[in-house]
Amino acid sequence: MALGNKTLQDLLGPITKQLDHEAVAESVELPEWEFKAQRVTDGMTHEQLVDKFQEEAEKVRTEVVRCSADGLAAAIAAIVGKGVPETGEACTVIAADDDRFAQCGLYDAIKAQELVTDLTVWDSEQGEECIQAALTATYGITYTTGGIAESATVVQPTSPKCGRAVSLLPLAHIAVVDASAIVPTMFEVMKEYEDKGEKLPSQVCFISGPSATADIELVRVEGVHGPMYVNYVIVE
Amino acid sequence: MAILYNTESTLAERVEACLDDDFKHNAIKNAQEAFYVSRGRLVEEMGDGWQQLRMHAMEVRNHVTENLDYYVKQFAENAEKNGCIMHYAPSGDDALWEVLDVFEKHGAAYAVKSKSMMTEEVGLNEVLEEAGIKITETDCAENILQTAESKPSHIVVPALHFNREAIADIYREKRGYEGSSVPEEITHFLRKILREEFMEAEVGIRGCNFAVAESGSVTLVTNEGNGRMVDTFPKVQIVFVGIDRIVPDLESLDTMMALLPRSAVGAKMTAYFSLDSGPRGEGEADGPEEVHIILMDNGRHELANSEFSDMLRCMRCGACLNICPVYRHITGHGYGSIYPGPMGLVLTPGLVGYDDIDNMVYACSLCGACTEHCPVSIPIHDLVRQHRINIVDQHKNHAIEVPIFKALGLFWSSRPVYLAGMKIGAPVMKVLAHGGNALDASSTWIPVVNSWTSTRDFGVLSETRFRTWFKEHKEQQNNAEGGEQ
Ligand code: SF4
Repeated sequence: MALGNKTLQDLLGPITKQLDHEAVAESVELPEWEFKAQRVTDGMTHEQLVDKFQEEAEKVRTEVVRCSADGLAAAIAAIVGKGVPETGEACTVIAADDDRFAQCGLYDAIKAQELVTDLTVWDSEQGEECIQAALTATYGITYTTGGIAESATVVQPTSPKCGRAVSLLPLAHIAVVDASAIVPTMFEVMKEYEDKGEKLPSQVCFISGPSATADIELVRVEGVHGPMYVNYVIVE
Repeated sequence: MAILYNTESTLAERVEACLDDDFKHNAIKNAQEAFYVSRGRLVEEMGDGWQQLRMHAMEVRNHVTENLDYYVKQFAENAEKNGCIMHYAPSGDDALWEVLDVFEKHGAAYAVKSKSMMTEEVGLNEVLEEAGIKITETDCAENILQTAESKPSHIVVPALHFNREAIADIYREKRGYEGSSVPEEITHFLRKILREEFMEAEVGIRGCNFAVAESGSVTLVTNEGNGRMVDTFPKVQIVFVGIDRIVPDLESLDTMMALLPRSAVGAKMTAYFSLDSGPRGEGEADGPEEVHIILMDNGRHELANSEFSDMLRCMRCGACLNICPVYRHITGHGYGSIYPGPMGLVLTPGLVGYDDIDNMVYACSLCGACTEHCPVSIPIHDLVRQHRINIVDQHKNHAIEVPIFKALGLFWSSRPVYLAGMKIGAPVMKVLAHGGNALDASSTWIPVVNSWTSTRDFGVLSETRFRTWFKEHKEQQNNAEGGEQ
């Protein structure tokens, strides 16, 4: 057969034949699954889930602070106010464009920090400039849509107001998560997307701690391509 | 690289070379132990839940295999609805053709790639390089291998066979590195040099751990974040998806992700797991503007509805490598396949047939540890035995086969006996493998192309359409093989 330019039919034909199917089925019902796995988070109260989230986060070298909605700006300002992690030098910040950040006065609180020399708020119209700012930023701040207790994972969709670069390029990522949005496992997150039935965001990134590798002699090194430091801020 | 490599040496020669490499042994042993211990801890913590997860994953994957044509179609249609451009590749060569087509359309000459076994399988890097396209591997280990011009020795941590000094030297020589051999310093050097490449590249190439039929999404599991970089900056993205990567719905991703990182690296989750559904959305300022999905079969459908159909459940976690006593001794390079270890013994002949694999399927003591640890309960050692039975049936060599089976227990039990066995056993076993010296098609292709293209450069490329070039390329290959295919 000639190379390339194959159709879906060319791909499906041999599969259908191998399966002894007459044709590709019009529809296939999912069977009733026989097995359902118990999970360590089964039976936990919501409070216990939040504790579990924190406990697991600390295991993957992620610092966790808890605050009230009113205290959010101060909690984040306290982190960026320390400057570059470990060295304490002056730092720059990029943050998602989020109404909740604006309302709690976060942007002003950051600008007021002595060690913060620049704050960029993500603006898709100025995409290139924002990416450049993120490349050299010390901190990237995002408001995630949820947390997973079992693995201390935060759920970060891409949107016009929060580009992928914000949680990826800076040296440190500060991820804000509402305590009320912390669920036991990934199942609940997926189920919610499924129930909504809408097209998924172009990307939903599940983040669990800092970027890491063990590729050289199995020595764990943090900060490979993504952030070297991660902070979770739980809003209660 | 194609599935088989080093086909000019026999299995026995490769194994002997590997047995003499103490560093490699220790590295593999340490990796096996590290992953094994942390995996064990997590499995224990889950109690009965672990076995239940395995059983559930098995029923989900089996359901997909039984209805594979339906789910491939559903995934393809939904991915298209998400705005992805679909390319269908019954064979590896079809996949290469489609990739070249994308580069040609964009006049692109520079790509970054995050680790993908499927691209290794089709020898993508070699073809792109021959076509004058620069392609940078961005996973730390893969970048080390690419810079050192070496081959992976483990499917999860592929550069295990280099120590820190060697790695520092590689970068000193090739990339002007001036730092020490401390892993942290080398890694941060990589962060710096690779960032520039991510920003500059026109095309990002990546694999896919699980593809979701219901939502048309592809997913990527990484720890380093290079997958995210590939997924964020190049304007054009090419995603390799095997037809055996499909799960029916989003909910089943939870089951797969509860099993995969625990089995692969002994972690509850990797740092990043991304679920991608189409190109960047309206008003978004990063992410690919164009997503091309190469949906590839390359021999996989033949496993369905066969005695090897269980293998279609494999999630490439590497747990079977981490537990295998034979892998520990002969290390990844002994097998001569990009798919080494227990999973490789089943998958390699499943994809390429028996003719060119030498005695590979005998590199197993049938101890069954792999089967016990496989997160999707593939009866790996039974399938290895099945391959042996098929080989014997094909070549009717029962008389030789039987004593070899009997000797196996002793054969693997100690290193000296094992060494001796390998030396004595090889000529005997050779009889079992028909045409053991025949070279794999794609490996002859590469040297032929190398000499043929030594005069090529970027300038020449622009004058020849990729398609024409690729056609000639394949003709050269066929001529070199005596015009078959
Ligand atoms: S055969 Fe099982 S254990 Fe081995 S890589 Fe595949 S899924 Fe993992």
